[in-house]
Amino acid sequence: MVRKAKNINKVKVKHDFKWWRNRIARIAIYFVLICVGFVYLEPIFEIIAKTFMSAEDIIDPSVNWLPRSLSLNNLKVASNVLKVGPTLRNTILWSAGMAAAQTIVSALTGFALSRYDFKFKRFWFVMIVLAFIVPTPVTMVPRLMMFVTVQEAAAIQLIGTALPQAMMALLGQGVYSTVLILVFYTAFNMIPRVLDEAAQIDGASAMKVFWFIVVKMSATTILVVFLFSFVWNWNETYITGTLMRNNIELLPAKLNMFNSEFDSLVSAQGGAFKLNEAYKMAATLISISPLLILYAFVQKQFIQGIENTGITGE
Amino acid sequence: MAEKAVKKAVKEKTPRRSRRAPSYEKRQNRLGYGFMLPWIIGFLVFTLIPFGATIVLSFCNVSTNVTGYDITFAGGSNYYTAFFRNTEFVPALGAFIAMVVPYTFVIIIVSFFMAYLLNKIEAGKGLMRTIYFLPVIIMSGPVMSQILDQADEAVQMAQGMNSGYEGVFILEMIRSYSPRLAGFMGNIFDQLTMILWFTGIPIVLFVSGLQRINGSLYEAAKIDMANEWQILWKITIPMIKPTALVATIFTIAQLGTYDTSAIYELIKTATANTNGGFGFAATYSWIYCIIVLIIIGLGCLIFKERQPRRRDIW
Repeated sequence: MVRKAKNINKVKVKHDFKWWRNRIARIAIYFVLICVGFVYLEPIFEIIAKTFMSAEDIIDPSVNWLPRSLSLNNLKVASNVLKVGPTLRNTILWSAGMAAAQTIVSALTGFALSRYDFKFKRFWFVMIVLAFIVPTPVTMVPRLMMFVTVQEAAAIQLIGTALPQAMMALLGQGVYSTVLILVFYTAFNMIPRVLDEAAQIDGASAMKVFWFIVVKMSATTILVVFLFSFVWNWNETYITGTLMRNNIELLPAKLNMFNSEFDSLVSAQGGAFKLNEAYKMAATLISISPLLILYAFVQKQFIQGIENTGITGE
Repeated sequence: MAEKAVKKAVKEKTPRRSRRAPSYEKRQNRLGYGFMLPWIIGFLVFTLIPFGATIVLSFCNVSTNVTGYDITFAGGSNYYTAFFRNTEFVPALGAFIAMVVPYTFVIIIVSFFMAYLLNKIEAGKGLMRTIYFLPVIIMSGPVMSQILDQADEAVQMAQGMNSGYEGVFILEMIRSYSPRLAGFMGNIFDQLTMILWFTGIPIVLFVSGLQRINGSLYEAAKIDMANEWQILWKITIPMIKPTALVATIFTIAQLGTYDTSAIYELIKTATANTNGGFGFAATYSWIYCIIVLIIIGLGCLIFKERQPRRRDIW
């Protein structure tokens, strides 16, 4: 009863200037956020819309967003050109493998930096940052020459296999490894050292402290790092293109060559239809949809992880 | 015989005592380097040595033969060719600088602004963040260029003249003072969609940076009757400066590795040219690296911690 009375009172309160100002400011904030957010979403909407349009709908200027009838033809053609089955499997395995390797080595390095006071620690810190700043092409030519030389000397096939990149990922020189190390470093710093000490008193070795305390307490961080690494490896084309040449079929690289592949395939079939924007859109949709689906599933943990772990790494 | 066996058994039973337990520092050193080892090996083999090799190679002619590489010292001729004979390199470099500097500037400001707003709202927080972190997921070479092609087409349609924003009143006013400035600003607006796609990681960094500012600082300021504007300038921005530095470095590195820039194409074609191309590729990438490092250095200068000046804004 009392509460009800209070509510009635509240309605009668005349809002002062400050209340109105806050309300207007809030509406303005949402307005800006929604407007800018739409810029990110618009290309994706457009890709989805064009994917499901038939050829007539695309030519028709009166059709902009919603196709008159859903057609799966574009998706079919695009997935034929991309050879979607094996390519998708390759890409997922490739990215997951690289991401796993990167996650492990960055966790180890982050642990060392956060828990031990070894000599020249500052020096190694600077080197870690430097490894990030130096643009990739600078180290690419000698790396390539190194791999070719080793390949000739030891008679193992290296160029064109996953081996060079697997080695680089396992030794902490994969895509943006520095960022991953710094994420782990700051996250591990937030785990109280008292826990390590307690474990050490009970006779735990360093490896045990690492595994049973630090790793087990940072599940979200590991997820965030793995996801970042997965996405970056998925999207990486320069190093893969240089070291693998065309020996593996990965989605982004295929998408890059979509035009030429499409032409050759279509001319081989003797088809009459020519290159159409819609096919490209469908191909793009295919190559980003796994990432979008993944993001939809882990989005909550991902955002929480970003907010909890100081990703900044100061 | 039996005596010996007994002695041996006793020896095994008694715990082996080392002469002296390793000191604390020694243990720290040993364990720290133990955990760092994979990264250090990788860094030496795949980053530091190639980095040095690039510098050496940039002064050499490299050609392939049956067993490996012929490397002959060529003095500064590669540099001479890069700067004076090759007609593409200098314009590509200029275009790169002209892109990176304004882009970084706009990206940092826009992403700070968006992160600030994202941090202000309560309702719909999760949804907004999901949208704003989206570029982190699908930001990549091939997909991006696909999306940007679309944006470019739209721009070119609007671009009957110099810029899509030719007729805008304010730009016309600026043009009457300085046509160049107006053209520059028109360009930025033209490419705003593209710029927005680069803000993914910087927004993530800024959001987590803002989250970590101690809330009691704001409270103290509010008790002292500070308004939002003053709080923004005197607390938020000074506290966010280290994050801004990290975001700047990341943005420059990201723009530097954005693999559709003209310099990348030059380096790629030089790398693909096995007949003496490696020397040029090394020269190009080394010059490119110096430029990137200089730009990052400038960024660091801007965000360097300064002694707070005794000056009241209001």
